[in-house]
Amino acid sequence: MAEATVIKPDLDFVKGVIEGGGDSLKKCYQCATCTVVCNVTPEDHPFPRKEMVWAQWGLKEKFAGNPDVWLCHQCNDCTAHCPRGAKPGEVLGAIRKQTIKQYSSPSFLANLVSSKGLVWLVFLIPALLLGAILSVDGTFIPNEEEIKFSYFAPTLTIQAVFVPALTFGLLVGVLGLMKFWADMKKAAGVTSGDLGGSISATAKEILSHVKFKSCGVSADRFTSHFLVFYSFVMLGIATALGVLYIDIMHMESPFRFGYGTPVKIFGLIGAIGLLAGVFLMISNRFKNAEKVGIGSYFDWLLITIVGVIMASGILSWVMRVAGIAGVAYTVYFIHLVFVLSLFLYLPYSKLAHMFYRSAAICFLKYSGREKK
Amino acid sequence: MSEQQKTVLVVGGGFSGLTAAVETAEAGFNVVIIEKTPFLGGRVTQLNKYFPKLCPPNCGLEINFKRIKNSGDISFYTLAEVEKISGQEGNYDVTIKQNPRFVNDKCVGCNACNEACPVEMPNEFNFGLDKTKAAYITHNQAFPFKYVLDSKNCKGKSCAKCVEACKYDAINLDMKPEAVNLKVGAIVFATGWDLYDVTKLDLLGGGKIKNVITNMQMERLASPNGPTSGKILRPSDNKEVNNIAFVQCAGSRDENHLPYCSYICCMASLKQATYLREQYPDSKVQIFYIDIRTPGRYEQFYWKVKEDPNVTLTKGKVAKVEEDPATGDVLLTVEDVLLGKKITAKFDMVVLAAGMVPSTRTSKIPTDISYTNDGFVVPASLKKGMFAVGTLKSPVDVSRSVQDATGVAIKSIQSVRRSI
Amino acid sequence: MEKKFGVYICTGCGIGETVNIEKLKKKSARVSKIEADNIRVHQILCSPEGLEVIKNDIKEGVNTIIIGACSPRVKFEEFDFPGAIVERVNLREFVAWTQEPMTDDTQSLADDYMMMGIIKTQKGSLPEPNILQDLSNTILVIGGGMAGLSASLEAAKAGYQVVLVEKEAELGGMAAKLYKETPRQYPYDQLEEPRIFNIIKEVESNPNIKVLKSSMIEKTDGQPGLLDVTIRNNGNSETMRVGAVIMAAGWKPYDASKLGHLGYGKPNVITSVQMEEMAKKGKITRPSDGKEAKKVAFIQCAGSRDSNHLPYCSSFCCGTSLKQAKYVREKNEDAIAMIFYKDIRTPGQTELFYKNMQNDAGVLLTKAEVTGVNDAGNDNLYIEAENTLLGEKIKVEADLVVLATGIVPATRASQEYLDGLTEAQKKGDDAKKAYIESTPKPEFILNLTYRQGPELPSLEGAYGFADSNFICFQYETRRTGIYAAGCVRQPMTMSDAAEDAAGAALKAIQCVEHVAKGIAVHPRAWDATFPDPLMIKCTSCKRCTEECPFGAIDEDEKGTPFYRINRCRRCGTCMGACPERIVSFKDFSVDIVGSMIKSIESEEDEFRIIVLACENDAYPAIDSAAIKRQRLNPKARIIPVRCLGSTNLVWVTDAFSKGIDGLMLLGCKYGENYQCHFVKGSELANYRFSKVKETLDKLQLESERCQLVQVAISEYDQIPKMINDFVERVEEIGPNPFKGM
Repeated sequence: MAEATVIKPDLDFVKGVIEGGGDSLKKCYQCATCTVVCNVTPEDHPFPRKEMVWAQWGLKEKFAGNPDVWLCHQCNDCTAHCPRGAKPGEVLGAIRKQTIKQYSSPSFLANLVSSKGLVWLVFLIPALLLGAILSVDGTFIPNEEEIKFSYFAPTLTIQAVFVPALTFGLLVGVLGLMKFWADMKKAAGVTSGDLGGSISATAKEILSHVKFKSCGVSADRFTSHFLVFYSFVMLGIATALGVLYIDIMHMESPFRFGYGTPVKIFGLIGAIGLLAGVFLMISNRFKNAEKVGIGSYFDWLLITIVGVIMASGILSWVMRVAGIAGVAYTVYFIHLVFVLSLFLYLPYSKLAHMFYRSAAICFLKYSGREKK
Repeated sequence: MSEQQKTVLVVGGGFSGLTAAVETAEAGFNVVIIEKTPFLGGRVTQLNKYFPKLCPPNCGLEINFKRIKNSGDISFYTLAEVEKISGQEGNYDVTIKQNPRFVNDKCVGCNACNEACPVEMPNEFNFGLDKTKAAYITHNQAFPFKYVLDSKNCKGKSCAKCVEACKYDAINLDMKPEAVNLKVGAIVFATGWDLYDVTKLDLLGGGKIKNVITNMQMERLASPNGPTSGKILRPSDNKEVNNIAFVQCAGSRDENHLPYCSYICCMASLKQATYLREQYPDSKVQIFYIDIRTPGRYEQFYWKVKEDPNVTLTKGKVAKVEEDPATGDVLLTVEDVLLGKKITAKFDMVVLAAGMVPSTRTSKIPTDISYTNDGFVVPASLKKGMFAVGTLKSPVDVSRSVQDATGVAIKSIQSVRRSI
Repeated sequence: MEKKFGVYICTGCGIGETVNIEKLKKKSARVSKIEADNIRVHQILCSPEGLEVIKNDIKEGVNTIIIGACSPRVKFEEFDFPGAIVERVNLREFVAWTQEPMTDDTQSLADDYMMMGIIKTQKGSLPEPNILQDLSNTILVIGGGMAGLSASLEAAKAGYQVVLVEKEAELGGMAAKLYKETPRQYPYDQLEEPRIFNIIKEVESNPNIKVLKSSMIEKTDGQPGLLDVTIRNNGNSETMRVGAVIMAAGWKPYDASKLGHLGYGKPNVITSVQMEEMAKKGKITRPSDGKEAKKVAFIQCAGSRDSNHLPYCSSFCCGTSLKQAKYVREKNEDAIAMIFYKDIRTPGQTELFYKNMQNDAGVLLTKAEVTGVNDAGNDNLYIEAENTLLGEKIKVEADLVVLATGIVPATRASQEYLDGLTEAQKKGDDAKKAYIESTPKPEFILNLTYRQGPELPSLEGAYGFADSNFICFQYETRRTGIYAAGCVRQPMTMSDAAEDAAGAALKAIQCVEHVAKGIAVHPRAWDATFPDPLMIKCTSCKRCTEECPFGAIDEDEKGTPFYRINRCRRCGTCMGACPERIVSFKDFSVDIVGSMIKSIESEEDEFRIIVLACENDAYPAIDSAAIKRQRLNPKARIIPVRCLGSTNLVWVTDAFSKGIDGLMLLGCKYGENYQCHFVKGSELANYRFSKVKETLDKLQLESERCQLVQVAISEYDQIPKMINDFVERVEEIGPNPFKGM
């Protein structure tokens, strides 16, 4: 018979999950309805029932290197059918948040992003940072008559701020991912596998959004996440092309006023897609709120950032066309602050799931667990 | 003290109501029972056996009916409902609506009306598992042993075949609802419970999959006076059942349905496991549960059933039930919690251990009473001289209903004495 | 009363088409000595016109009425003639609905039934209640805990005098030790302040209740209405008369010293009772060093649900530990409470309490089988458990362990002692003496002076709970007028105990009211007859005193039985037991039934079987088969008896000497899950008839001619076959050689 595992309940971890959006955690009475109604769980190591009891007992070590919580796509079928209102979907979200916190350094940034009480600071920091830089280069109050955002924030300045910010975000994220990967291997006792094959299979799975299709109650998550995901990709491509045009090929900006360049149209489609996707996400959350809950602070922070980016981007453009300079610049500033937030907080916000979920899906294939 | 002050009204003629009535009467008081259905006995008349002794409910009922017959102090109205209550402890005025039976006291119980009746209707007593005629009696130990015409389904004078058939002049199609006024000292409410509507359990296939039945239907299937004369056959094809699953907490302990525990279902399923095991020696039983709740000495019954190697108990709540359209078999999916594995298994028939709903969830008592969110009576809200028994307050089994009803008898006596 | 007979035959419901009424009239006339023309026949006797016929005769002085119509189970209101002897002959169910119409067999069956009915009324007489003198209607309550206090208050409020006896110096019992209570009222999810102290005040200020603390029952003598109870209080003994007793002696926690495997004995392992006491005093601390406990483990079913300890569930421990987990959390917000359970048992509305209590960051629950509680250093403990929800065998450290110990009824010690005594007695007087000398005698509770023992009998496998094993009739014990309440009956929560006490109080009241009227209590609560033994013929064989299921018969100094009528439940077991056939009821006696049996005519070429059927279950079952129009064997004659316990062996002789070919007893199931309404009746009949061989040997008859068959009321569809099978077996043996002699 196997030796008993010494477990160490950690009340602070429990409280962390409860405060981090899992306030229903302790309502779970382990009936395992969640596991049965979940369409994305593997049969062999099913979740989320066991994750619920681990979290209830504050067994944080169980979540280090645990791919299962990341296999959850937050369809929230579990939450909808939970007889106790324990909302496993939300709790798993909160556990993932704890994991993100655990893997992303520096920890003060992780704490900042995850603390509801510090929401003002979350946006104040990039605002001050950007404000300061724009003040220093003297473009903060443009005096040209024509409204042109590059007067306000010159391309070079933008690049000087945003490229490092994104690089920072990605770097921290990848570092976390690597730690997580190592922990998963350790926890599962897996030493080798077909990494290349796993990565390509994972990419296929992510690109096809196949898992989302199995969601029950919130089947519309497929559409919204699909839209948001691909819109992001399109916007990313458009931005990269912009950089290519302007900085590398020294051509005119493909986004310049009054021109309908293919890159711009491509970007615009992405923007509209993202707007629609975010709108769908928000409306779905409200629509399903009764069944699956409205979501946590952590969820809404990301939705807010993306939403504001979109709204401010469009509004600033409208204002520019309308010729209302004060509003246009102010809104554009907000737009930039939120984009900066998105980049800076990439590894600390919910967006970090792009690292961890991808890694978890990949690990399942890598370790061969999925086949069972 | 006047006779009416000395009278206690018992609303509901199920086992709780009967107990409250006979116990009160045997302490020297007058009792009037009113019962909504055409017969006394209530839910327990639909049960095959009681747990844990596996004895037939009609045994205790027969004694209680005998106590009523031999007591000069108990009268009863069937097909009657309370319409209005006014007054106070010691002096309540109660208006009762007496619905027509269309059969008078001359009925001898010969069954000629039933044979003559051309109208078939779903048999509610058997939870729709078979059909009955519009002129009927629920079973051969029904009390009073007097037929009834179903007012909804009977075609009345346009048909009147039963009137011709009855040699005893016992059928009167002209009967109309009547109001009866009673003056009583105290009122006991014992209107019992209904089974939770399993069609609301969409994950469990309730009402949709033919071979998914309720625990109460299982009682009828196993009862000698049930639709199959006691042989357990599955509804889709009348095949013998060799492999059965019980889904515990079908509705209970679930805030989407019934947040409370229905108390009886664990013992009921263990009991029903013995029905099948006794009929089919090779049969297999699997019970899926969250917690097995067999309080007190019921534990011994649990042990006894568990000892049977053909009975398996699996911790895990069933949350997915599907039909195999080719065979009519039923597929269940569950997480075996102690193994940590998600499993799917196939059964001939599945019993949903459906929960208990107080009758007051749907039909409120016509007086000022507070109810819990789930429709149970809040005892503290009852006026002086009014009492609620058994399943109106919390889900309980028969023995606890008896305990409670006996206790309520003394409280109604106190009430009557107090107001002299 | 001079009997004036009236015989009535109904021809409705198929009787007229099944039986030749003229022949039946003639036969009945011969027995009843009424002219055939004066036997009234009506086509619907239960109709107002039919009843008018009977009523007119009553006006003319008829006072003994034989009605050949339907079963006595129906039309009971119609055929109710107060002041008259009424015998219902079941021609409809037993003949018209179950026999081939117009055959000789059917005719002779109907003849026999009519004849037996007439003989029964000829031999029987109207009951007159036996009311004893100097009756008390005071209720004695033993035990001053929640159940006892509640019972006292309920009885007092209903207008009865109550004497409450409590062993301890203070009232309140276990309930007074609690810090908080589990919820008893809507919304059923909050801890509540103990209410026991208000109840104590109410009891102590109630003028109808006399409270005797530090008191014990030294002796209980007599019978309901006349129970003389000697109470010892501070060295003084006082005897008082009471009418009925409520026994609410409560419970003790299971002896934790037997729970060494769960760590009991180690300094920081305590019981849930100790936990209550600690919480009441203040902080939750470790006994070893007085430091506040921060990691408290609760082990459920400590002793309960364990075949080595208590094989039952103690019902309230899950609620108690959830409550105590809250104590831990409320008194120290950094502390955690871990609950290890087999199943969480919070039935009914208590589920809402569970739901609320578990919703706390520091209350951790898992299903588990605790395999050990071991030292973890610093007087901390490791709880080791398997089959947990966590997916593996676990080991977790605690600085305080609370064992949720189960309950042991206060009745258990004396029960065990008495069981041991009975066992020793079986081995002889020496063994008995040795047992008494070597075994410490526990404190008895009732100290009855009854022939059948000093305490309430408990059933085998009931672990000392004073329970009668009835589902439908919760309060029936085998000692009339003594009703158990609270945890001596079943493990139950405090709220349930209070409720239970109310029921027991009602039964006590019924008892004193019924003995005042000279009528029986449950299950024959209307019965004014009583056993009236012809004592001059008694041989003091003591079978009646031994067999009475209710211990109603004592013995005087000379060993002569004497009846304590108010303890009697009128089952007739004594009548069945008596070899001298001296016990009779006004309407039921060895002679009445014997004469009925002897009246059956059995020609040489005819088989005749007698079925003695229990009137409570077997008889209604036969009726039910008849309603289904199942065919009954025409050779069988059914005679109802009060209980199979009342069947006297002399009826065997009566039957077989008269040429009857077989005698079948149809009665309730006996054994562990008995269905006999008199607990032991059918079992005793079986015992008696297992010895019938002797009697039959004397007559040189085969013992297979006599058989007892157990039947439940629901097994009506099997009854025709049961009878047929028996008839077949008897036919195989061949006719009774005494036939026609």
